[in-house]
Amino acid sequence: MKRIYTISGLLLLFTFFTTAVLAQTLTLKGKVTDATTGEALIGVTVAVKGTTTGTQTDVNGAYTLNAASNATLQVSYIGYATQDVAIAGRNNIDIKLQSGTNELQAVVVVGYGTQRKLDVTGSVAQVKGEDIAKQSSTNAVSSLQGKVAGVQITNAGGPGSSPQIRIRGLGTVYGNANPLYVVDGAWFDDISFLNPNDIENISILKDASSESIYGVRAANGVVLVTTKKGKGAPSISYNAYAGWQKVTNQPKLANGTEYATLINELNAIQFPADPTTFPDPNKFGQGTDWLNVVLRNAFTMKHDLTVSGSTDKSTYSFSAGYLSQQGVVVGNNYDRITAHLQQDVQATNFLKLGYNAVLQSSKSRDVPGDVIYKGFTAAPVVPVYYADGAYGDPNDFPIGTATNNPQAQLDFFNQRSNGYRITGNMFADIKFTNYLTFHTSFGGEFGQAEVLGYVPAYKATATQLNDNSTLNVSRGEVRNWIWENTLTFDKTFGDHHLTVLAGQSSQRYKSYNITASARNVPFTSDGDLYLRLGSTTTDPNFPRTIDDSGALATYESYFGRVNYSFKNKYLLNASFRGDGSSKFIGNQRWGYFPSVGAGWVISNEDFMKDQHIFDNLKIRGSWGKIGNASVPANLSTLVVNNSAAFTAIYNGQPATGANITQIVPPITYWERGVGTDFGLEMAFLNNRLTFEADYYEKKTEQAIFAIPVLGSLGTGGGTIIGNQATFRNRGFEFAASWKGTIASDFNYSLSGNFSLNNNLVLSTATGANPIYGGGAAATGGQLSTRTVVGQPIGEYYGLVVDGVFQNTAEITNSLQPDAKPGDFKYKDLNGDNVIDAKDRTTIGNPNPKYLYGFSANLNYKAFDLSVDLQGVAGVDVYNANKGLRFGSENFTKDFYDNRWHGEGTSNTYPSANVGGGKNYLPNTFFVESGAYFRVRNVQVGYTLPSAVASKLFMKRVRIFASGQNVFNSFSYKGFNPEIGGQGDQPGINAGIDNGAYPLYATYNFGVNVTF
Amino acid sequence: MFIKNFKTALALSTCAVLLISQGCKKSFLDVPPQGQQPSQEFFKTADDASKAINSIYANLRVWNNTAFAPMAIESLGSDEAEKGSTPADASYMNAFDNFTVTATEGQIQDFWNGQYQNIQLCNQVLDNVPNIDMDATLKNRYLAEAKFVRAYSYFRLVRAFGDVPLRLHLPKDATEYNIPRTPKADVWAAIETDLTDAATVLPQNYGSSDIGRATKGAAIALHAKVAMYQKKWDQVLSLTNTVKGFGYSLFPNFEESFRIPNENNSESVFEIQAQSLGGGAATSQYSQIQGVPGNLNLGWGFNTPTEALVNAFEPGDPRMDATIIFRGETTPQGDAIEITGPNPRYNQKSYVPKSYPFIQNQGEDQNVRVLRYAEVLLMNAEAANETGDPTTALADLELVRARARGGNNAILPKITTTDQTALRTAIWHERQVELAMEFDRYFDVIRQGRALEVFGPKGWKANKNEVWPIPQNELDLSAGTLVQNPGYN
Repeated sequence: MKRIYTISGLLLLFTFFTTAVLAQTLTLKGKVTDATTGEALIGVTVAVKGTTTGTQTDVNGAYTLNAASNATLQVSYIGYATQDVAIAGRNNIDIKLQSGTNELQAVVVVGYGTQRKLDVTGSVAQVKGEDIAKQSSTNAVSSLQGKVAGVQITNAGGPGSSPQIRIRGLGTVYGNANPLYVVDGAWFDDISFLNPNDIENISILKDASSESIYGVRAANGVVLVTTKKGKGAPSISYNAYAGWQKVTNQPKLANGTEYATLINELNAIQFPADPTTFPDPNKFGQGTDWLNVVLRNAFTMKHDLTVSGSTDKSTYSFSAGYLSQQGVVVGNNYDRITAHLQQDVQATNFLKLGYNAVLQSSKSRDVPGDVIYKGFTAAPVVPVYYADGAYGDPNDFPIGTATNNPQAQLDFFNQRSNGYRITGNMFADIKFTNYLTFHTSFGGEFGQAEVLGYVPAYKATATQLNDNSTLNVSRGEVRNWIWENTLTFDKTFGDHHLTVLAGQSSQRYKSYNITASARNVPFTSDGDLYLRLGSTTTDPNFPRTIDDSGALATYESYFGRVNYSFKNKYLLNASFRGDGSSKFIGNQRWGYFPSVGAGWVISNEDFMKDQHIFDNLKIRGSWGKIGNASVPANLSTLVVNNSAAFTAIYNGQPATGANITQIVPPITYWERGVGTDFGLEMAFLNNRLTFEADYYEKKTEQAIFAIPVLGSLGTGGGTIIGNQATFRNRGFEFAASWKGTIASDFNYSLSGNFSLNNNLVLSTATGANPIYGGGAAATGGQLSTRTVVGQPIGEYYGLVVDGVFQNTAEITNSLQPDAKPGDFKYKDLNGDNVIDAKDRTTIGNPNPKYLYGFSANLNYKAFDLSVDLQGVAGVDVYNANKGLRFGSENFTKDFYDNRWHGEGTSNTYPSANVGGGKNYLPNTFFVESGAYFRVRNVQVGYTLPSAVASKLFMKRVRIFASGQNVFNSFSYKGFNPEIGGQGDQPGINAGIDNGAYPLYATYNFGVNVTF
Repeated sequence: MFIKNFKTALALSTCAVLLISQGCKKSFLDVPPQGQQPSQEFFKTADDASKAINSIYANLRVWNNTAFAPMAIESLGSDEAEKGSTPADASYMNAFDNFTVTATEGQIQDFWNGQYQNIQLCNQVLDNVPNIDMDATLKNRYLAEAKFVRAYSYFRLVRAFGDVPLRLHLPKDATEYNIPRTPKADVWAAIETDLTDAATVLPQNYGSSDIGRATKGAAIALHAKVAMYQKKWDQVLSLTNTVKGFGYSLFPNFEESFRIPNENNSESVFEIQAQSLGGGAATSQYSQIQGVPGNLNLGWGFNTPTEALVNAFEPGDPRMDATIIFRGETTPQGDAIEITGPNPRYNQKSYVPKSYPFIQNQGEDQNVRVLRYAEVLLMNAEAANETGDPTTALADLELVRARARGGNNAILPKITTTDQTALRTAIWHERQVELAMEFDRYFDVIRQGRALEVFGPKGWKANKNEVWPIPQNELDLSAGTLVQNPGYN
């Protein structure tokens, strides 16, 4: 006899009073199957409602559980509608779960807890662990690319590096603009230490009301990561892949002959008296393709082994992972070993204890940071080696010293980085009653990183040499902890459901770094790499040096939240957090962050009962305040400058100096974010089609900028950090999904998202004066971005190219009498008949306007296929590589083909003197579209028939092939249009490309095995 | 069961909360700066005062004070030097040579910043050291040293920009951040006050462990130069006469006087001390920017001597070879200069031979000669001539020329004219060749009132190029409090 109750209004039966009544305990057995296919479901959670008692189904879908005879079972499973079943004295209950989930019943991880999707009044996106593990990214954040509306992921750099993530546009300018990551309750700035395979779920809090509970750390969004827990019968699984990465969309460079031709043209302009450098450019032919010397196809493999399971009293999961990844630069290797340990136990009926720990060890063999750039610029006329085996030396060619031999650079670079880290938390749940729980969690991080770099004494070329070997040692440590305590009240009174959370948090972040160097360290083996073998501190020529630095910040916080719902129709959420931080002083120490949210589930109204269009129709709105404390500690405290730079010299002898080099800084306070969000959620066709739309507005008030101060104050014309600007991100997000079934063994799902964001500066402390940025070497020191009221942050700013001067007659009649034929002709925008800095204007926007993603999953019999597409549009990139020239660097083939080289040859590309004259000034020629579209991920899998698998003593065997970045489309002429921000203020130095890492495609073959 | 659980649970959580409350004390959020000394702990001891003075001297050798910015502001405008290096290398420097520079050019800001950094460091000492309980004599000397460097920095500013914001104290609060330009007469007066004060206190000589600090002679000689720029000839005469009584003498070998072993010699009145130091100590790039590039790789090859300078030397004047490294020559120290370098000539006064090792930058050992006794003699000569005493002027001039002659009486004939104008011209010419490539020429010619005649052909314009523009950023940030120099708007 099977009876299934579907109770849509939860928690009606189980209140404090009912559980207080003693009931007879019985042992309950049963099987959970898919209501449509009849297939046994493995790992389904079967819990006694209102208690912490629960279990999971085994591989046959069976479960066994002790429960009170009058209790109710709550049966939940990812992808299926949760069911409540009254036991009503029965000993055997088989349950059929309906797939085609009612999305509203799904549980969403939110700050300090979980909520039914139904109850959420903010904007929260979830990505399942399996979708993350499916990608061949080694960093989980990278796997989110294109998956969530409004979340921009910019991948950059080599193995082990972290992508840049922006949630709903750029929320902060100074310092770290990355979101807060909360991993099992512990807080991090970065999660590159996590193995994607250990992640159960990622929840992204996008609107200010859901972020607000994280107060002063929430301004750039919050990403909640839940690691895997054991589930059901003991299971051993092994996942592995191996494959390779291949550089793709590599820009083509000028070959030997083309290069020699360009250098001759350049010299004819620069040294008109003595123009020809290469009498016969043709003799060089193809020459050396330096990028191919530097880059390679890189091998990668990853192995993960997990043992996990649960009993009715405890869960456990132990996993170990090994990743070995070669970088696409020759010689670059990255090895990572991770372990994830999780256990929890219901010690008594009121006390549950547990822990999560992630251990990580990484090792890398590094390559020079600029070696790809050097490969990009090296002269193709120089051979890698001469016939006698010596390094090809650019100094043997009449091309100056701006380029080097990248092969020699790689060969004499010897640097290793090691990192060790343990992170995790321990927790205890104390249940006072069925509706009142105390949770305490202590977590933290202990990490160590060391870098050992050795430069031998060598001579490769006339300018690539080192007379005295150097050993540089750097060792850094972090010791962080967070202790949080919450009290949760959760109770239903008739039609009313109330959840109240009150909590307290203390956090301490300590980092320490020490660096030292010595010269003349011998090297016969790694055992020699000790400072003590090199020069001493008293060495007159090469004194051994040592320096250290550290940071310490503490936080003390109190927070609370109330969630109320009436008849599952009317929803109200409110939260408040107070944060105190050691980073700020006086009245500015404490910040207060309130939020409110409300929702109306229209489809649950009585008047909607008889309609069959909407399975769900919900509108919601929210408002919240958030803060940002990503600034250096003790900003407003004046300190002594003890810099070694202040060493005086008397009669040749050094004397230590110190002084005060700051002016009294203004009191700095939190950067305050205020956000509003309106959302619409709909589900149709038996929940197979869902649609969600959001409109948001996020204002960053009193944003922290470092702005320049008067040079006459004597602080070196430096900057002063303060609350200087207010800006806004405003936009729309749309997400839709469709689940379809063609036959019982053929189903598919599609999902897509699209978002639009506009960034606008509302006010700045400098008034009408812009805050300039982008003045790095990349732009020849010229300020190429500005932040000014009425425009987006860090927009590109420069001159407008109005063609190219074709001949001297044209120049004579122009406003640029110093120009040469082939130079850019600029527009005199202010009409004063002078071309100068006053003619600069907005020439591009590095803040992307449109993000989109599309995913398809298809299952046919034993085959599965998933495809992810993703793209960015409405964004500009500053291709500084084109004009960043110090001498005879190589050019791209594109430049060679299109350059001006005589009257009438081009009116868009300048002569080879693109880095000289006034051509290098920030201008429209360097600004290109950063839009791209790509096939981010494709995976095809095949699951062996279970009969075959069991012959191999395995439960399940799946083999797969996958590809990442297999197709990319963009018009950008550099390596990759994905360019992150740079320096202390990435927000105002965004998208400036000077030597980016190349884009690469990854091809893997792998297996998933369960024993 | 419930009740029992409740009590246990309550006991446990109470324990937890009690533990936490230990962490909630106010002190948990009071975190001192890490690895940084709060400013209120500084300027308490004689050692702090000493360190602060050290920072002032150290700062004199930084990039903004000795490298590109001074080269642009104090040298390239002259007829003796041009940008050098390869044409594309730092081509923006040409704007200083052909007077097309605009207020946004970075070297202007750097020069401005460099001087005001010195001034800020000096003001820290002058405002704070008086309150330190320490030996009064030493305290007064420290204050005098700070006044010397402050005066030197304002001298460089007023020459370069004319009216400048005059800061003689630390700003008390934000209302004192943004101040207008002070008329240059007042700036000159403040410089003179500082130098008079400094000269009263500073010793004529130091013990060997203090060589390099400002001396009485340095303060008075700089004062003389300051007076000379204001054409206060009586004062120039009296100040230089005082210095003449201090026992300085010209170093016998002109070329060798600029080499590292002969730093702080008998002729040296003030030098910016430099040394090859690691560990993040500021190093001077003065020699590196002007060093011979190419295979020798002594530096970057900027600020190269012009043909005009070559022609300025009288026939056979050994100072030409001592001042200019010619392409293809072998230096007295044995460095063979490539015949195929990008530039025909390099500055030899800043030259550091290849044999000197360095840690951070080539030639970082080379002291910058700020004031030499030869210049004191030439100032004395000019003042004497201006005040009607050609005999003294000729005697001074002969001292300088005799040393240059190096015993070869066939060259550099003795000047004998007593005609004031002719003698003035002779003295000016002597300054040109004696002080060549020492960053003196540009402002010297402007001071002489001949800039249009000498630099006009290169683009120098009267009523504009007497001073450089105020940095554009500075104008922008002042929001109208600072006003640009004429001709640069």
